[in-house]
Amino acid sequence: MEYPFWEVPLLGGGMLIGIIAILHVFVSHFAIGAGLFLVLTERKARRENDTALLEYLKRHSTFFILVVLVFGAVSGVGIWWAIGLVHPTATSALIHIFVWAWAIEWVFFVVELLAAFIYYYGWDRLDARTHIAVGWIYFAGAWLSLFMINGILTFMLTTGRWTETHSIVDAFFNPTMLPSLVVRTAVTIALAGLYALITASAVADEALRERVVKYASKWVLVGMTIIPIGGIWYISRIPDQAREISMGGAPVVTLFAAASVIFSAFVFLATLVGPFLFPKRFHVTFAFVIVALGLVTTGVTEWVREAVRKPYILYNYMYSNAIRTDEVQNLWETGVLGKARWALLTDEEKRDPLKMGEKVFRFHCQSCHTVNGFNGIKFAVKGWQKDFLDVQIQNLNQLKGYMPPFLGTDEERHALVEWLYSLNNPPQQTAARR
Amino acid sequence: MPVVVPPPDPAGLPAPAWLLQVLLVFTFILHVLAMNLLVGGTTIMAISLRKGRNSAFHAELAKRLSKALPVTMSLTITLGVAPLLFVQVLYGQAFYTASVLMAWPWLSVIALVLLAYYGLYLVQFRPDWLGRMVTPIAWVSAVLILLVGLLYTHNATLNVAPNKWASLYAMSAAGLHLNWSEPTLIPRYLHFMVAAFAVAGLGIALLGVQAKKAQDAWGQEAVAYGARWFLGATLVQIVVGLWFLFSLPSNLMQNFIGGNIVHTAILWGGVVLAVIALLLVNRYLLGAVALTVLAITLMAITRHSLRGMYLQPYLDVRTLAVNPQWGMFVIFAVLLVAGLAVVGWMVWQFYKSGQPQKAAVE
Repeated sequence: MEYPFWEVPLLGGGMLIGIIAILHVFVSHFAIGAGLFLVLTERKARRENDTALLEYLKRHSTFFILVVLVFGAVSGVGIWWAIGLVHPTATSALIHIFVWAWAIEWVFFVVELLAAFIYYYGWDRLDARTHIAVGWIYFAGAWLSLFMINGILTFMLTTGRWTETHSIVDAFFNPTMLPSLVVRTAVTIALAGLYALITASAVADEALRERVVKYASKWVLVGMTIIPIGGIWYISRIPDQAREISMGGAPVVTLFAAASVIFSAFVFLATLVGPFLFPKRFHVTFAFVIVALGLVTTGVTEWVREAVRKPYILYNYMYSNAIRTDEVQNLWETGVLGKARWALLTDEEKRDPLKMGEKVFRFHCQSCHTVNGFNGIKFAVKGWQKDFLDVQIQNLNQLKGYMPPFLGTDEERHALVEWLYSLNNPPQQTAARR
Repeated sequence: MPVVVPPPDPAGLPAPAWLLQVLLVFTFILHVLAMNLLVGGTTIMAISLRKGRNSAFHAELAKRLSKALPVTMSLTITLGVAPLLFVQVLYGQAFYTASVLMAWPWLSVIALVLLAYYGLYLVQFRPDWLGRMVTPIAWVSAVLILLVGLLYTHNATLNVAPNKWASLYAMSAAGLHLNWSEPTLIPRYLHFMVAAFAVAGLGIALLGVQAKKAQDAWGQEAVAYGARWFLGATLVQIVVGLWFLFSLPSNLMQNFIGGNIVHTAILWGGVVLAVIALLLVNRYLLGAVALTVLAITLMAITRHSLRGMYLQPYLDVRTLAVNPQWGMFVIFAVLLVAGLAVVGWMVWQFYKSGQPQKAAVE
């Protein structure tokens, strides 16, 4: 509420971030695993003097460049763009706490990027040893940039001792940093295999295709086997409340958590009975089906990871609506609109509870709720009478553990109740009925 | 309408403001160099693709540019990430606010860059089915990139206009504002874009020098052609630059025409260097390149000072609280040096491998 709030109709800002982020995650994890895939497979091909396999790798690396260096890199910047627009206060906090971590990540990214180009354009130029060395540098740079981002990302859910010490070491090496790193590394391996199934299934030579399909499927299976081990460790380290939300506390989140497990199993089984057991009959359509399953798995899993962080955006430090926990006391007194200077309340709006309520909604609620669209409030409060609305709002955080407390003044709460009620009972209609 | 400026982040700055400012300006210069090559290079490539139907020189130029531009695009993006990080640390209060006001156009930068980037790869790989479509596709990429530049100018000018923020936001919270009413918008935009054609001209001349070394007759013509772009664009820049200067609010402009001796010296020092580069470009190319980089450095410092002057009444980075994280900074500095060394080694290996015949003959 220190910044102007951007109204994103229907989708809501959170969903907008989600769409960009899920696509980015699905490509960026591939970017890392593919580094390992390329370099290990190249080494194997060179050792075994397998020119057919080398030719396949060259083609695979063109696909890799077009997906990773273009979409991966640009969509990564896209997340940064989107979070700055949707959650400027939280983005500012992450930037200020982690400036040097971001700067270090940038160094790794620069190394990763240049290595990718030199690896790609160096296929016919560099000698084998140097080419493989550049491949290893690429993988190291890519994985280290994951290492950095992972520390920052996990901090959002498990701020750990940082809330007391405010030490960057505590922030970065937070409770879920390591388990999440294991899970994400395993995801990179699985995705390297998954994407390789696409290019492998397009190989013309039948014998080579069968060989590469089988080989790529092993990457998927290895990655998918490690994920649940890391996953259980990860879940054991998240806050109790987050675990409760994903296991019944919030039905939708629980459903998605279940979907995450089920779709992961699908990916594993489809890979096992498809390319692994019957590589000869493998077809590019099947490859895309498995990739689509992988994208859905990534989507629901990342969605759950975001959802369980509620009611916070930075755990125990800042609520989803950008109110810091240490501001709560103050807000009881000044009210939401006293703090949200961007509400720019006119005298007329101050007198009209409906207009005031709309502004309270914008700065207190709208970072999670839209009016008519995703998580739409109009639908959520349908049929609620004013006194029921009032009780709900007064006890938001107790009735719904995934929501922050309402922090406005009595006047603001009444205005919000009036406005919420008016959504399903437009004033003129009510008057007419009377 | 009141002037509303968000409060500074309670975490404070992770290093003294001067250090972050140095890093901001330094990485911005790197970004601008790559950006110039990209913006000018893409448009010139589109022109050469058309002319290349009748001219062997232009066909060859288009081919060489098409190989260089995707990497240039990647460098532009990556080198832009660092200044964007430091700008958010130092000027987040202005940056986030201005960006939210123009949220959709600002977010569209991502989509525009993505499309332009894929366009560049299409031109480079030039698959058979593309046929003559290659020229229009190059133009689409060029126009998209020029459009991104315009959106950046909207953002930059909105960043330094806190007095406009509240009235724009009161009109609409939908994030669809732009800054068309700003008198410096067009001259500022042209100032950056015209410079891009000058720098890209130097880039083409350097490609020519490289070709000449490999006994390639094309090189001679490329050096001359690149120098022509540099000359032409820099002459245009004299007009555009003055237009930009005189479009500034007069109290700020005064600082650059004698009111403040340091700011005046830095700006006009840059102008003088550019003029010397103009005289040198046909005789001593590398000298002209070095002077141009220096001129851009002085201009980037001027741009930074100008931002400070605009924002002075509303926010001042020198007054922000500082909670230094020196340990982290040292790790960053060490890794930066190590990273650059690794990059240097790889580039050297790549460069060396391009000269196999020569090595064999020797």
